[in-house]
Amino acid sequence: MTPFEVKDCALLARMSGLPPAINLRELRDRIAVCGENVLFHHFCETTLRSTFDNPDYRNDFAVWSKLYLGDRVLAERLGILDPYEFPSLGELRAATLEVIDERLGESTTIPWARPGDEIYFMEATTVVFDTGIRISHPGEFAAAIGAMTGGSVYYHFLEARRRSPFGKDDFTAWFLENDEGGKNRPYIEALARIDFYFHTLPHLRKELIKVLSALEDTK
Amino acid sequence: MNVPLGAYEGIVGPAVLRELRQLGEKLAGTRVVHVNSTREGGGVAEILEWMTPIMKELGLNASWEVINGTPRFFEITKAIHNGLQGAHVDIPVKGWKTYEDVNARNFKRLRPILEAADIVFIHDPQPAHLLRLCTRRKGKWIWRAHIDISRPFRPVWKVLRSLVEQYDASIFSMPQFAQPLPHPQFLVPPSIDPLSEKNRDLPAAEIEAVQTQYGLDPSRPLLVQISRFDRFKDPVGVVAAYRMVRKVAPVQLVLAGGGATDDPEGKAVLEDVLEAAGNDPDVHVLLLPPDSHKTVNALQRMATIILQKSTREGFGLTVTEGMWKGKPVIGGDVGGIRLQVVNHHTGFLVNTPEGAAHRIRYLLHHQEGIDRMGTTAREFVRENFLLTRHIREYLTLMLVTLHSDRGNLVEV
Repeated sequence: MTPFEVKDCALLARMSGLPPAINLRELRDRIAVCGENVLFHHFCETTLRSTFDNPDYRNDFAVWSKLYLGDRVLAERLGILDPYEFPSLGELRAATLEVIDERLGESTTIPWARPGDEIYFMEATTVVFDTGIRISHPGEFAAAIGAMTGGSVYYHFLEARRRSPFGKDDFTAWFLENDEGGKNRPYIEALARIDFYFHTLPHLRKELIKVLSALEDTK
Repeated sequence: MNVPLGAYEGIVGPAVLRELRQLGEKLAGTRVVHVNSTREGGGVAEILEWMTPIMKELGLNASWEVINGTPRFFEITKAIHNGLQGAHVDIPVKGWKTYEDVNARNFKRLRPILEAADIVFIHDPQPAHLLRLCTRRKGKWIWRAHIDISRPFRPVWKVLRSLVEQYDASIFSMPQFAQPLPHPQFLVPPSIDPLSEKNRDLPAAEIEAVQTQYGLDPSRPLLVQISRFDRFKDPVGVVAAYRMVRKVAPVQLVLAGGGATDDPEGKAVLEDVLEAAGNDPDVHVLLLPPDSHKTVNALQRMATIILQKSTREGFGLTVTEGMWKGKPVIGGDVGGIRLQVVNHHTGFLVNTPEGAAHRIRYLLHHQEGIDRMGTTAREFVRENFLLTRHIREYLTLMLVTLHSDRGNLVEV
């Protein structure tokens, strides 16, 4: 059994080079042409940004629509988009544009933010490094996740879905690779049941520990 | 102050420190030079005071250099600073020549270290001209803007942009502060050091000593604004807000700030504030020496509410400091204050002296709100604005810059 290599990551945000948007039409135009990294940043990397309460929505476009365009209908429709449900970022982009186009079609005026409340388009570079920590047995995962940084949890459980050939998280991929005789099946199924996109990172970590610990307790 | 990294474990936890050490290992031996224009006074010097020793402890070959200037040079750079923040300033050709000459004199002294560096961080506009002089540089040069240059006075920005666009990258505290430039523009908010003299826990006796020294009444509410005497901090507006509250509540006001060696305009602003304060014994205008960190710490800790009623602001580290002391902040709805102060969570954003007065009165009637917002504010700073997050982003930035050929996922 190859041990699981715990990695950590640190994100560095930067300007995308796109001009900010001040109204819904401009938001649509920027989303239509922005790089996939920009989409990924505003839909997925928001998880690494800490908040002092549970935000209404997980993606920046929904939050901006609610807070600065004052369009709660649009915010709700954008807010329910789960980027991990789409097979590609191109399809996520198409779905996002569809929601905005529908709203533009319904509206008699274009919603505007006031000057100073524009939305800025950013992207990030992720630096990944080996922590030197190894997990050798399924039963060790819960404790190891408890000791990981938020960066490690994000990298292995969320960011992994973008790069893994399976489109799965690294933990599941490891359980699958080392699944002799189907004994890892309960772990794989437990992880698959987590509605992860709508969790904050601290909540996600707690949920991972909870479901994995529960499996150990039943042994 | 040289505090070992391990001393922060009780504040941020072991995993955060482990992460820093692992990133540091990847940069061991890297020659890093920070250059700014003052050794003391202002947020930049405070950041470099802790950042340089921690980078060294993490294995980097880091140093901090300060350019020396004449009074005329600092008048010019203050005008540049104000111009970048939107003020209409007149900088004659001779003024720009002084700016270049002082940079050239400093370059003679700094040349060997700048030419040998792997990464050079130039902080703010004062030393920005050094890059043009360092023709035999081998490392990456990064311009760090600590101020909001989103709406600069164009003639000033035009000159400075011609220097800045030659850098390999730039850093801004917020996207709202940036200007389009032909290189990567990274986003790194600044931070505070929780163990510094300005932010460490203070024994009650030390707080009481400051209380006695300045004749403050512990039985009455205290409003505190800590900042340089600078028009953008609107200290006169704070006095106006205080007067509106004073009619109905027995509040006291402290306006305390230091002078920095690169801030000759402060004296004129201080005179305006003293005139606005008049003979009111409950308005305490304190011009503090640059090393008054413990006094500032004590004033923030004895405050009922922290004010930072700026009309333009960089990041607003005094807001961060106040929040770290568990206080709600009433701040101007500008710059980095917006990133930290969230209505009803960590304080209130206001646009006028009237708005500030309204929120002060609201909080004075809701002690439970003061307590709750203060607690939230402290935790928000712990998560986002302590030096450990800041140093991690600088280390990450260095790795990204040194491996810029590897795209958006850099495995090291």
